[in-house]
Amino acid sequence: MKKQKYWYKIDNAGKLFPAISKDARSNIFRLSFYLNENIDPVLLQQAVNETIPRFETFAVQIKNGLFWQYFGANSRIFKVELEPARLCKHFSSYQNRGYLFKVYYLENKITLETFHAISDGTGGMHFLKSIVYKYLKLQGYQIEHQNKILGELPYSKKESEDTFVSNYDKNHKLRLQEEKAYHIKGEEFANHWLLLVKIKLDTKQLLDYIKSTYHVTLTQFISALIAYSIFNESIDFIEHKKPIKMFVPVNLRPYFDSKTLRNFSLYIKSSFSSEKRDWTFEEMLEITKADFFDQINKDMLHQRINALVGFEKNMLIRVLPFVLKNVAFKIGYNILGEQVITCSLSNLGICDLPDDMKPYINDADFVNSSTGLAVTVLSIENHTNINFATPKKDLSIINYFVSFLTKAGLDVTIDTNYKEAYDEIL
Amino acid sequence: MKYCKTCNVHYDTPIEHCLFCHGDLTDDNQESTYKFSTITNKKRFSQWLKIFLILNIGSIFISLALDFFNGFTITWSFTVSVANVSAIVLALMFFSHTVWSTKLSKLLITTIVGVFLIGLSLRDYQWAVDYVFPSIIVIQMMILSSLILFNHKKWLDLSSNLLTLAIIGLFPGLLFFLDITEVNWPSIVCVSYAFITLLGIFMLPSKENREELKSRFHI
Repeated sequence: MKKQKYWYKIDNAGKLFPAISKDARSNIFRLSFYLNENIDPVLLQQAVNETIPRFETFAVQIKNGLFWQYFGANSRIFKVELEPARLCKHFSSYQNRGYLFKVYYLENKITLETFHAISDGTGGMHFLKSIVYKYLKLQGYQIEHQNKILGELPYSKKESEDTFVSNYDKNHKLRLQEEKAYHIKGEEFANHWLLLVKIKLDTKQLLDYIKSTYHVTLTQFISALIAYSIFNESIDFIEHKKPIKMFVPVNLRPYFDSKTLRNFSLYIKSSFSSEKRDWTFEEMLEITKADFFDQINKDMLHQRINALVGFEKNMLIRVLPFVLKNVAFKIGYNILGEQVITCSLSNLGICDLPDDMKPYINDADFVNSSTGLAVTVLSIENHTNINFATPKKDLSIINYFVSFLTKAGLDVTIDTNYKEAYDEIL
Repeated sequence: MKYCKTCNVHYDTPIEHCLFCHGDLTDDNQESTYKFSTITNKKRFSQWLKIFLILNIGSIFISLALDFFNGFTITWSFTVSVANVSAIVLALMFFSHTVWSTKLSKLLITTIVGVFLIGLSLRDYQWAVDYVFPSIIVIQMMILSSLILFNHKKWLDLSSNLLTLAIIGLFPGLLFFLDITEVNWPSIVCVSYAFITLLGIFMLPSKENREELKSRFHI
């Protein structure tokens, strides 16, 4: 049986987020499902409150200890809200009954926005699928879960495991060193508003093109194309003397046989020097392919986990009071954190739904908050959505990316949260 | 759906011009809807807070300048400045997003420090040390411990605040032993209450309370 009283140490990836998050840098990711009909907020709230107790890692509130923050059990009634205009908007857990996620509704859309300290995209997707499944059931639809809805399966302690710590081996650490990366510059929208440009493509057409022309994976192709777009559209890149660095989170669960719903991913990166002035797309793709091959192997990933967990296991850091750690995290992140990354690309893969649910769901979104450029990929049914989220007004990088796809003969459909009247406001 | 002939892309949102080339979009009569909430341009509360902060900071500089140029010494302006700084800190704490018990504790501790500094600036801080400091701590400890006694579920949320206050509540005892206080009974009441509270926290823990302490002090 599941425990009623529990507390967790915050996992290695999540420790930093509470300290560094603010209005301009929310560290929140969004997952949405578009249903066939408008959402009933009363039923949705009931569905969320019936789902939360099953997901122990989401039914938490953040608390301050003497040395570390931690997650304590949270059994308050959850309130769903009308979706705000700002994507991935920073929120105070205090004003959200202690919860570290939000559930929004808007017309036919159900949205889950999750603070990265509690979970990553994989965990968030399990939670949202369970909420939507419960919502459809409450509406009276007969749906078989086919073991694809975690909320309908028995709770396993493995879901709450801090897999970073359980895989820690202090004897095999990698020395982590990061050089600074090129940053995309430009004027930003007011009030930290985040622009979303959603590129919708036919999955089969896209994969056929990538595999027949370049013989690489979808993630490798998109990563290289973003880097190539940045290289072509950033006029100060050459003189900047810092490389373009693409950060791609890897889901570690398959490599370490983990079922955790907590954070369990690590970034791999591909880097492109500014000293070379005549990059071609094919060259960038080759480097991406080689970097992915070198870094995505269990031994290398394990060594990086050991290095990261080793940092928090350091006795000097452990005995430092939380108040001082918090200040140190903030200063450290402001000095180093965002300077090592040009753009992030997160591919959540295929959204696998039970057959009975498919007729009720039209589309899905995955969006990451960003201070520069964050690209996310999610495939559902027969199409793939590539979402660009940025606070910058300059669309030239996205424009280059889209025109590359259209020139390749792919059918591109754009959606956006931008409106022409926003020019006056933002 | 709309279409841009120049960029060769379809738009599934009701905009009139292409995002990339700004050209007119053609309509294929298939209706598209805007799938996000629309921005409302209301003035944000933080702007009012900023105005309040600027006014207080302005008040500090103006009073210090007036006082200084009136006789090259700082006298009354020190009191004004302390009051302004206290007002800024109290406002920031009041509007911070945190649980009410933590907020209340922080507000009261800031009030104690502010009142003491104002007393110091008037060269009469005895009343702050003798009465204000111990009585505010006792009142706050009474509120929290009563809430815990009447609603045991509150223990998990309030215990750390109560522990912090109980530790601070021992300080009037130190002032008493150092002979800084002149009226001693408020300090004695405060220390006694704080001591009993600490005993209660550490000596009478249920399994649940022990777990809470373990989580608060995990390393």
